[in-house]
Amino acid sequence: MTRDFQSESSTPTASATTSQPQLPHTRTREPESLLVSTSALRREPLWRSPILWFRTLTIERRILAGFGLVFVGILIISTVSYRNTSIVVANSKLDTRSHELVRLLAGIDVTMDEAENNHRRYLVTGESLYLDAYWNVVEQKPKFLQYLANLTEGSPEQQQRIDRLEHLIDRQLAAEAAAIDQLVSHGFQAVKQLALEGAAKEELRDIHRLIAEMEMSEQQALQRRIMVSASTTTRTITLLGIGAVLQLVLLAAVYYLIRHDITERRRVAAELQRRGELLEAANKELESFSYSVSHDLRAPLRHIDGYASLLRKAVTESLNEKAARYLQTISDSAKQMGQLIDDLLVFSRMGRQEMLRTTVNLDQLVKTVLYDLRLDLQGREISWTIEQLPEVPGDPAMLRQVFMNLIANAVKFTSTRPIAKIEIGIDRRLPREIVLFVRDNGVGFDMQYAGKLFGVFQRLHRADEFEGTGIGLANVRRIVHRHGGRTWAEGEPDKGATFYVALPTRRPRT
Amino acid sequence: MTAIKPILLAEDNPRDAELAMAAMEEQQIADKVVLCHDGAEVLDYLYCRGQFTSRLKGNPAVVFLDLKMPKVNGLEVLRAIKSDATLRPIPVVMLTSSREERDLSESYSLGANAYVVKPVEFHQFVSAVKELGMFWGVINEPPPERSGSGH
Repeated sequence: MTRDFQSESSTPTASATTSQPQLPHTRTREPESLLVSTSALRREPLWRSPILWFRTLTIERRILAGFGLVFVGILIISTVSYRNTSIVVANSKLDTRSHELVRLLAGIDVTMDEAENNHRRYLVTGESLYLDAYWNVVEQKPKFLQYLANLTEGSPEQQQRIDRLEHLIDRQLAAEAAAIDQLVSHGFQAVKQLALEGAAKEELRDIHRLIAEMEMSEQQALQRRIMVSASTTTRTITLLGIGAVLQLVLLAAVYYLIRHDITERRRVAAELQRRGELLEAANKELESFSYSVSHDLRAPLRHIDGYASLLRKAVTESLNEKAARYLQTISDSAKQMGQLIDDLLVFSRMGRQEMLRTTVNLDQLVKTVLYDLRLDLQGREISWTIEQLPEVPGDPAMLRQVFMNLIANAVKFTSTRPIAKIEIGIDRRLPREIVLFVRDNGVGFDMQYAGKLFGVFQRLHRADEFEGTGIGLANVRRIVHRHGGRTWAEGEPDKGATFYVALPTRRPRT
Repeated sequence: MTAIKPILLAEDNPRDAELAMAAMEEQQIADKVVLCHDGAEVLDYLYCRGQFTSRLKGNPAVVFLDLKMPKVNGLEVLRAIKSDATLRPIPVVMLTSSREERDLSESYSLGANAYVVKPVEFHQFVSAVKELGMFWGVINEPPPERSGSGH
């Protein structure tokens, strides 16, 4: 105890007691309570561990575990109740048998008594009618014994007694038979003494005693069984009661433990709905914003360009070269901003627009793109390598935009090459996705800036080198992402660039 | 008969109106254009009320409608025209900055005869207005008037 106490001496109470050695009384008593309190503080009580375990489970598993426990409980209670009831039923069958046995034994007792008494009367009178009882016993004995054997089945003690009883009956009958023989051959005088005392007096007495013993034993067994039945019944009722209470407690506990999850889920669902509504409102706002951008921002640009043109026309005679260039710049800037607004609107629409879900024939799609680009291709020498392209799930208009941008870029950035080479093909075909590419031998780019390529308004070339608003690849990425795919690019300055589009071969969900 | 039918231009923005008139002048049809500054004025003209009480009777050859206008906007004017039996035959051309799908589909479902997005570039704008004025004001044969046709 002292050693335990010292091991606990890190707590302030313990060190306080060790500093008072003059009080041995408190020293011996205190550690016990100290131990209890510190151990209670240090670890969770044992009964809490299943609850802690329960808390680590998912709600589905909790419900399953809870109902599993309830089910096991019901199973145990049912089994025990069934067993108990079976015992009571079996006992009541045995009781019926015992009563029958007792009655039979009493009958045998009387019959044997009667046989002996009438035998004595026969010895005295010589009237053979009195031997009826004796013959009756001789005749009925095997039946009695068989019946007795049946009734005592399963009780070796009683069956041993039956063997003894048979033996005694045989002896009584043998003694009586001997007396009859003597009377027949030697006359009354020979059996006078027997007639007075009874031929099988001792055997009969033994039979009486044995039957009494058997009756007693059977009664005792009966009593025992009644007690067993009564206690079994009480136990069953108690068990059912306790079981019902336990099941209720268990169900209540499970409810208590999952209640938190249920309310939490409800809260999350409500929150989700609220956010969805907010998102929808924000989307609507964005829509009206882009609407007003498209409408209101365009008007002043039109005016700038319009009045610049009217001005040029009005003063065309007195305009020097410099002033004409200024006017031209005003017009060009207005046009460029108009283009930016249009591109931005397309980009914003790409994010919001409903996606059509159908199968797109990329071969056909590339052909139409090349046809649409025919004006840009005029006067250019381009060597095209176009592989056979597959069909993919997606929105035809959106995917057309993707290939339009990629191919137009390839055409644009090879404009400085005497012979441009543009290749469109499949990089690899996986079971879940297909990787397509557009490769050119154009001006390429530094891989250092590869991450910026797909950003909105990101340009890797000066405006006077190649025209463009820097929104095309942002659109490509947005569209491919909406299709559940990926985009990336590889390039080297002055060596060309390859743009990859990985599209899932199966329709993306939602 | 068609030559004297006016072109009704509804445009609230004076600069846009001026630019449009400049284009019409190039085409020498500016004198045919009646300019309204909002939707209410358009309806006043069509129903010969307010400042237009004493105008010559008869529908215009065409109505060019801007979408965004004060008081009564373009779509409301369009709805009023297309739900009036006498006005319904007048060709209505939406002339607007908006390229939004919503505006397009709503205009057509209300019965607009054409929808033109004003180009930012002045030359394109001028040629668009010129072509529109020429086509709807001169080339296109307007519907006969029930009262004025004389049949």
